[in-house]
Amino acid sequence: MDVKAHPRKDRASLLQGYEIDEQEIRRRKQFLQFDETDETRLTSINELAMQYADVVIEDFYKHLMSFDETRSFFSDPQLLERVKNAQKRYFLRLTKGNYDSEYVENRLKIGAAHERISLPIKSYLAMYNFYLRAVAGRVFDAYKHDPGRALDIFLSLTKLTFFDMGLAIDTYVSSRERTIGDQQEAIRELSTPVLPFRPGILLLPIVGLIDSYRASQLTEQLLRAIRDNRAKYVLVDITGVPYVDSRVASHLVQTVEAARLMGAKAIVSGVSPEIALTMVAIGADLGRVETVGDMQSGIERAEQLSGYRMVRIDKDDQADEQGG
Amino acid sequence: MLVPILKQEHCLIASIQGELSDAELLTLRDQLVAQVRQHRSRGVVIDVTVLDLMDSFAARTLRSIAQMTRLLGAQTVIAGIQPEVAISMVQLGLTLDHAIIALDLEDGLAILRSRGARENDAGHQP
Amino acid sequence: MMPATSHEAAMPLSSDVDVLKARQHGKELASSLRFSTSELTIIATAISEIARNTVLYAKDGWMELRLIQKGNRRGLLVIAEDGGPGIADLSLAMQDGYTTSRGLGIGLPGAKRLMDEFEIESEVGKGTTITMKKWER
Repeated sequence: MDVKAHPRKDRASLLQGYEIDEQEIRRRKQFLQFDETDETRLTSINELAMQYADVVIEDFYKHLMSFDETRSFFSDPQLLERVKNAQKRYFLRLTKGNYDSEYVENRLKIGAAHERISLPIKSYLAMYNFYLRAVAGRVFDAYKHDPGRALDIFLSLTKLTFFDMGLAIDTYVSSRERTIGDQQEAIRELSTPVLPFRPGILLLPIVGLIDSYRASQLTEQLLRAIRDNRAKYVLVDITGVPYVDSRVASHLVQTVEAARLMGAKAIVSGVSPEIALTMVAIGADLGRVETVGDMQSGIERAEQLSGYRMVRIDKDDQADEQGG
Repeated sequence: MLVPILKQEHCLIASIQGELSDAELLTLRDQLVAQVRQHRSRGVVIDVTVLDLMDSFAARTLRSIAQMTRLLGAQTVIAGIQPEVAISMVQLGLTLDHAIIALDLEDGLAILRSRGARENDAGHQP
Repeated sequence: MMPATSHEAAMPLSSDVDVLKARQHGKELASSLRFSTSELTIIATAISEIARNTVLYAKDGWMELRLIQKGNRRGLLVIAEDGGPGIADLSLAMQDGYTTSRGLGIGLPGAKRLMDEFEIESEVGKGTTITMKKWER
């Protein structure tokens, strides 16, 4: 693979984070039909761009500042100055050629920075549109004598901005995906406690929908708890599970069997009529799973099996009744 | 790897020390059966705590140990299957249906004691 | 049948000790990916089943273990190949409970259940190739 110049470690890891390598960059350009001709056209207007950069950027921020939505991002004048400078460099970079991995890294960084300050993606896209319009007018003006040439240049610029937009959207999407992943992980960890109920008895109340990923997480969690607590009995209560599909039902049966292989007996409580219907419909081998109606019966069953006996201490009423 | 077999009262304890090849598993089977016969043991605990994998051959060998020792009058308990191993076994389709299974060695010995006790009780009944 | 493995990179499958080595190697290789400890055990178990199948029925076989990538997903590729007698009835061999030797008769169908992808090709008198894949979630 052709790795350019001095690949700094963080660049490699940034590109890797978005899973964009040299090959992927090539593929994206091919898909946009962006080639050397486009590069040459773009670099040919670099001087023109330098000439107009300040005006374009000034107009651009005037436009941004005229909307409440975008103004709020640039309330600090110092920040605004910094951003303007960065924006000018960014704008000029469009016509400097060498759209390589360094270019891509730079675009990803800018995208990530905007994502971090939560600039909406619609504003981000509108910015590209603003540039395209600003440049279009000036290019057609400069090439009045050759409108065909002006159109070619403009189309090359369109390709490059769409290339950039693709990268920017990637940074947004991948950041959202990360957030969603983290939240799912947090929910998973919070959602199902394995509770030591009495010595040798564990309680696993499951609340909410179970997908097959959560189901396998639950199984692992339960089996580790069996080992760590030396539990002989486990009550899995599914009262709080609204819906069980065939995959989850068979997973439940597997969990009960895995618990048995570890030396523990699992009892399932809170099977609703709907869930019972699913289990029968998929032919889940219910003979291998002991089920009870509600959690209370489940607890009583587990206690009975492990040799506990519950006695109500109530001196007055019951003693009298029995005596009488 | 050789599996040490300890004798404790009427029981034999085989603690597996590491991964076993098929040949080593068969050696374990033969040794256990020979020792049950020799010591007239009433129970066997096979401690598999350190095994990080149980495939169909291992499961079949354990099953045949249990069947053979039962014919010689001893109950076999499998103890210490780890969570990951249990999950893999179930997905593979190994449920060790007729085996007695314990949490660990201690639980295994307790199960054998209580089963022995129950059988003795039954024997005393008219 | 086209050889699917390059024999220099592959490990031999000719004895029960090779079965141990294959599953240990598979587990090590897979642990460089994002697999849970249960998934690592599941992978090693599947490797054990098909490696033993090769050793039992074909004597001299090979196994190749390799990391693979499809789009953003990474995975482990397991290929077991032999030049043994082959399997006459593949659908029968993939049935639970069917066995001609010392297995429980769940080796091949069991391995299929454990992995994400499973393919078997066999020609009587030529040999058998089993290809399995497990992908990161």
